[in-house]
Amino acid sequence: MAAAAPAGQGPRWEVFKQDAAGKPHQAVGSVHAADPEHALLMARSVHARRPAAVSLWVAPADAVFAVTAEELEAAGPWAVEDGGPNRRFLAFRKTSHRRAMTFVDHVGEVEAPGPRAAVAAAMVAFPEPPALTWWVVPADDVVASPEEEAGAWFDPARDKTYKQQSAYGLLAPGKRKRVEDG
Amino acid sequence: MSGSGDLDPTLREALIARLTAMADDELILGHRDSEWTGHAPLLEEDIALANIAQDEIGHALLWLEARTALDGSDPDELAFFREAGAYRNVRMVELPKGDWAFTLLRQFLFDAFETELLARLARSSHVPLAEAAAKAAKEEVFHLRHSGLWLERLARGTEESRRRLLAALEQLWPYLPQLWQPLPGDAALAEAGVVPDPAELEEAARGRIMAALARAGVEPPAEAVPNPGGRERHGEALVTLLIDMQSVARADPGVEAW
Repeated sequence: MAAAAPAGQGPRWEVFKQDAAGKPHQAVGSVHAADPEHALLMARSVHARRPAAVSLWVAPADAVFAVTAEELEAAGPWAVEDGGPNRRFLAFRKTSHRRAMTFVDHVGEVEAPGPRAAVAAAMVAFPEPPALTWWVVPADDVVASPEEEAGAWFDPARDKTYKQQSAYGLLAPGKRKRVEDG
Repeated sequence: MSGSGDLDPTLREALIARLTAMADDELILGHRDSEWTGHAPLLEEDIALANIAQDEIGHALLWLEARTALDGSDPDELAFFREAGAYRNVRMVELPKGDWAFTLLRQFLFDAFETELLARLARSSHVPLAEAAAKAAKEEVFHLRHSGLWLERLARGTEESRRRLLAALEQLWPYLPQLWQPLPGDAALAEAGVVPDPAELEEAARGRIMAALARAGVEPPAEAVPNPGGRERHGEALVTLLIDMQSVARADPGVEAW
């Protein structure tokens, strides 16, 4: 499970946010938390207080196996795990260097005996567009926000628009008008 | 003003008192929660509790705006220019924030009560109140999940976390009944379907709290309860809280932007 972390902070969890039905869950950052349920609550507060969301996933950061296209190329023949029972992995990829608030997008699921084999399977199953980075996460390590409470978790954000600093009025000295008493 | 014209003057006064009590509970609790901003034990919890503080203060505004529709009062004036003696919050919410266990247990007790209150207010015969309650109820589901999670983890965490939780429970327990203690006008409001029946609300809130304590393996303290008195009674803690909370507004009462 999750790796040891600095005392008192809890292990780190990767957070995946889905903006709308039909869109992929996207990696948006991480939180520290004691356990999966705590991680989901922290993820909602840190990553879905303002922006739109309909679902969150969390996974222990050390359950994520990540590899870049450069690393795959440098590795040469990709030595995958063989033998052992197949496990379900969720596959995520990054396909663009454009500046974004998110990192990898969920593309689907593969079955493989280990994470390296899961990456190889994902490259076959989801060849286009070519991935700059792959993440695979055992499906059993991913915990989702409760669907039946989605309204309570995500609806309030719709009324809370993010305001830039300039949205708050400031009065320059000398130009100040006061409301007269009475 | 939709829904306000159908109240006779007695009910109107009673509802103003009820809305003020509810708003003051939320405002003072929200302010106490906000005192953790920058000081919470985890960065993520710092953000989460700041969110909850904002939500509670937002609920206070909902109730004060419902009051505005009845008597034209100004929510900012009520929040920032009333003395402690004019506040109508329960004692529990004004107590200093204490340690993390105290803050989260207080939040849990209030959330459990508020969840039951809002579920019933959402069916109020007074339409503006029902609409405001339905809006607040959504946020409350998440608050209760958060504080309920901490109740269990503090109870079952370490020897220290359990000791701190039990100490907080001893301190808060005598103040608990004040949450559902009816105001003089509540019976008439309940009769008219504006607010829930006080006895039924108490039973539901107590039931929710007792069930959660049992799940966490915590024995509630004995029921011998010193009466904390009515909502007009406050401790010194509220006075110092208000000095802090009201200082900016009072420094320049006529200011137009800040």
